[in-house]
Amino acid sequence: MESAREWLPRESLVWIFAAQFVALLPQFTQLPLWIPFAWAFAVYWRLEVFRGRRDLPGRTLKLLVILLTTAGLSLSYRRWFALEPMVALLALSLTLKNLELVSRRDAFVSLLLAYFVAATLFVREQTIPYALYGLLCVVVITAALAAQSGGFSARPRRALGLSTRLLAQAAPLMLLLFVAMPRLGPLWSVPQDTAAGRTGVSDSMAPGDFTRLSKSDKPVLRIAFDGPIPPPEQRYWRGLVYSEFDGRTWRQGFAVDPRNGGRVYWKSGERPLPQVGPRYRYQVIQEPSRVPWLFALARPASDSAGVGATTDDRLVKRTPVFSRFAYDVRSWPRDSQGPPVPLSSAERRRNLQLPPSGNARTRAWVVRLRRQGLGASDISAQLLARFNREFTYTLSPPALGSDSVDAFLFDSRQGFCEHFAGSYVFAMRAAGVPARVVAGYQGGEWVSGEEYLLVREYDAHAWAEVWHQGRGWLRVDPTAAVAPERVRDGLESAAGAEFMQDALLPWHRVDIVMKLRLQWDRINYRWYQTVVSFDGDRQRDYLQRLLGEISPLRMALLLAVPTAVVLLGLLLWIWRGGQGGKLSPAERLYDKFCRRMARAGLVRGTGETPRDYARRIGEARPQLAALAQGVTDAFEGAAYGEDQAALSTLRRLLRWRLMLPGSIQRARDGQALTEQ
Amino acid sequence: MSVTRNTAGNPFRALAERWLNRRAPRARAIVLNHRRLFILPTRAGLGFLLMIALLWLLATNYENNLVFALTFLLASVFVVLPVHTFANLVDLHLQLLSTRPAFVGDFAEADINVRREGRRKRERIQLGWPPEGGRYVDLYDQAGTNVCITAPVVARGRVQAPRLRIESRFPLGLFCCWSWLDLDVEFLVYPRPVSAGPLPVGVAQSEGESGEVHRGHDDLNTLKPYQPGDSLRHLAWKQYAAGRDLYSKEYESRTDGRLWLDWELLNGRDVETRLSNLCHWALQAERQQLAYGLRLPGTRIAPALGPKHQQQVLQALALFPKWGS
Repeated sequence: MESAREWLPRESLVWIFAAQFVALLPQFTQLPLWIPFAWAFAVYWRLEVFRGRRDLPGRTLKLLVILLTTAGLSLSYRRWFALEPMVALLALSLTLKNLELVSRRDAFVSLLLAYFVAATLFVREQTIPYALYGLLCVVVITAALAAQSGGFSARPRRALGLSTRLLAQAAPLMLLLFVAMPRLGPLWSVPQDTAAGRTGVSDSMAPGDFTRLSKSDKPVLRIAFDGPIPPPEQRYWRGLVYSEFDGRTWRQGFAVDPRNGGRVYWKSGERPLPQVGPRYRYQVIQEPSRVPWLFALARPASDSAGVGATTDDRLVKRTPVFSRFAYDVRSWPRDSQGPPVPLSSAERRRNLQLPPSGNARTRAWVVRLRRQGLGASDISAQLLARFNREFTYTLSPPALGSDSVDAFLFDSRQGFCEHFAGSYVFAMRAAGVPARVVAGYQGGEWVSGEEYLLVREYDAHAWAEVWHQGRGWLRVDPTAAVAPERVRDGLESAAGAEFMQDALLPWHRVDIVMKLRLQWDRINYRWYQTVVSFDGDRQRDYLQRLLGEISPLRMALLLAVPTAVVLLGLLLWIWRGGQGGKLSPAERLYDKFCRRMARAGLVRGTGETPRDYARRIGEARPQLAALAQGVTDAFEGAAYGEDQAALSTLRRLLRWRLMLPGSIQRARDGQALTEQ
Repeated sequence: MSVTRNTAGNPFRALAERWLNRRAPRARAIVLNHRRLFILPTRAGLGFLLMIALLWLLATNYENNLVFALTFLLASVFVVLPVHTFANLVDLHLQLLSTRPAFVGDFAEADINVRREGRRKRERIQLGWPPEGGRYVDLYDQAGTNVCITAPVVARGRVQAPRLRIESRFPLGLFCCWSWLDLDVEFLVYPRPVSAGPLPVGVAQSEGESGEVHRGHDDLNTLKPYQPGDSLRHLAWKQYAAGRDLYSKEYESRTDGRLWLDWELLNGRDVETRLSNLCHWALQAERQQLAYGLRLPGTRIAPALGPKHQQQVLQALALFPKWGS
């Protein structure tokens, strides 16, 4: 490249910095604070060099900077092979490249890096705003690339125009490639960032955890049904089962969590499915949670890749859900199945586990009931009846002491779902009935004519499951005993005035805003359905519908024909763009005159003025002298004097096409040819 | 020329040249069309492809559809781009307006008119003889422009310039569209001026040519040894140059007082040196405003002054046959 050593022109430097800034801006919030500062300083330095006030750093200084930044990186990040350190490394490369931005090639490398930084933005988020911002990045970086030509194309409007036009012309091909290019699975496993904060149901439950969730209206699940839809009181989206209690916090316990030995059936054939068909078929789109728990109705099975079913009737994903994840589920409600296998002794022990001491009043109360000869279902009924009579459902329960079950059952008697579920399971276990706490979401809101069910963070819920000999695990929702509307109508009606009262703006009270938000969520859902979750399977389905069958020949045609059409269209467009067009009417008419004269054998020379041309015509063909002079005068009047009368004169003069001897001659020739 | 047309010794070059000559024949005015234009990705373009490959890896490994979309968008840009690069050159009219002569070792100049038809803007078109980069041409606001491009010349005479290279990497620099043009550029190359002492003022003879210069009166056979005080005009330069002693000529008749730049005065040197010396003298005489004439074997230009005369003289020197060839 002979231009490699060329110094950069002024405008292109500014363009490079603009492209870098646009690409880095959303990353700045994620990067350690010193990197944006380093970048800004490098830009400042380079501009100082440009103004001639400073030199580019020497070799020693550069080495020092590299050492410093490497040290900074290793201090800021523990792991190297993850997305975040990679982005940081890219940002630093941009920064350091600024210190040696000398030739066109440096500029080019810098802009390629900027494209890459823009791409890493998508790895973090795939929502519509991010997609639009990413598009803006690409437009600016491409404009910066165009501006490297310098001169006219570095003008902001020209560069952005060029870039937009190029990208717009590339868009049809891009769509085609997007649909048709085969998707391979990941070639090697890539580490994902785990540092970012997570929300949602966690793998432990202590009093107060769910009240925190109730303050957020972030969407969690979007569920579209294929076929029957469960009634509101059946919409229990199970995610976690807590078996272990330490007196205050409920946990999954050993060998329940698949991460520490819980049995998971990863393939569909591994676990016998009920003979009858599933009652519900649905697709769940889950927001990133950074944990592997999925959410589904009881007794789920899924054929989606990387999804397995646990022994306690949940779904888990092989890797944590780092980006929106869609999975198909079939669910068999438990009452549709035959008699269950008896509980193994290990399971029984696990679901009867209680801390050796603590919560003495509850234990004593249960023992008293047992002495009265009451069975498991009677004790459960007693407890639920107490909840119904004496307890209040509230989003702001009072703090509980160390014996939290005692304090809740006998003193405060106000609580949220986790208090009801936790104390209920404690009591049942104390009574010798295997029981467990289940956490997940309950309910959901229908979006736009029952298209899909939107489950939000505040739908988080905890309930209980109790083992009945001969009937298996049965769901008991103690919260329903005190606030049945929670289960039927959702948190908003159950909590009343308490609902979202801490929110900054009480949007949920404004009807139109809520409708707009649901509309926006619908757009997001469509976006996710069509773009973000388009994978190999969907691609095959789509191509099958489009092509009939997927054969190499048809695929080749699918790719080649539209590409050829686009390129031909582009050529045509460019060719048409090159013709006539922007000439003024006077120029167009004069051009016509010149063409006629050329046909008559008098070609206008390059750079010959109209006056000279007219004189030459007059000398060569005296009979045309008057016409040429008239045309020239009229043209000059119309083109330079903006004279409307001259323009019409010109138009009138050029109407007399047959008066030209050249065309008469040609007409004769044509006649002669046809006669032959 | 620095780049010669001599393609002997390189069969591929010769083959390419012949092919080019068939495909893009010599003409003083050329319209660029698809037959003449070639297009290939540049090194930057290959770098861009590498980046697309890396982006594709990123998208595949993270199974990220937006990164896929970006990858495919950039790949599509790469597909669409050659059309734009091509469009920047196609239908461009080039016409050789004039060439300016030069001295050997100097740069010869050619004026070329570049013109577009229609309103499509053309940007950053490079025109020149490799390995020189040449000039950049922009047809942005105006429809046509004249560019002066230069080439170093190393041989005297009428020199046919090699093919001109016109190239464009617009708009993104990822593709290079180029053509080799034979605009029939021919330079007149004068000998390199080399000093040969002061102007031979007053030395006016040529043994080979009698006739009107001496009008039959002069008898040049009378030489006497040079003595201080003898007019320098009468020195026997020829004999001196041949290595003999310094003689003065004795003229029996009137001598020709005009300044003649005579081939014979420089006897004993090789042809090119003689031409170079004469060239230098001609330039000096013109500068000093002394009317001068030129005598070459077979050519005679009567003494005069002025640019036209100088051009005539220099042209005679430039076109003097190459001895031994």
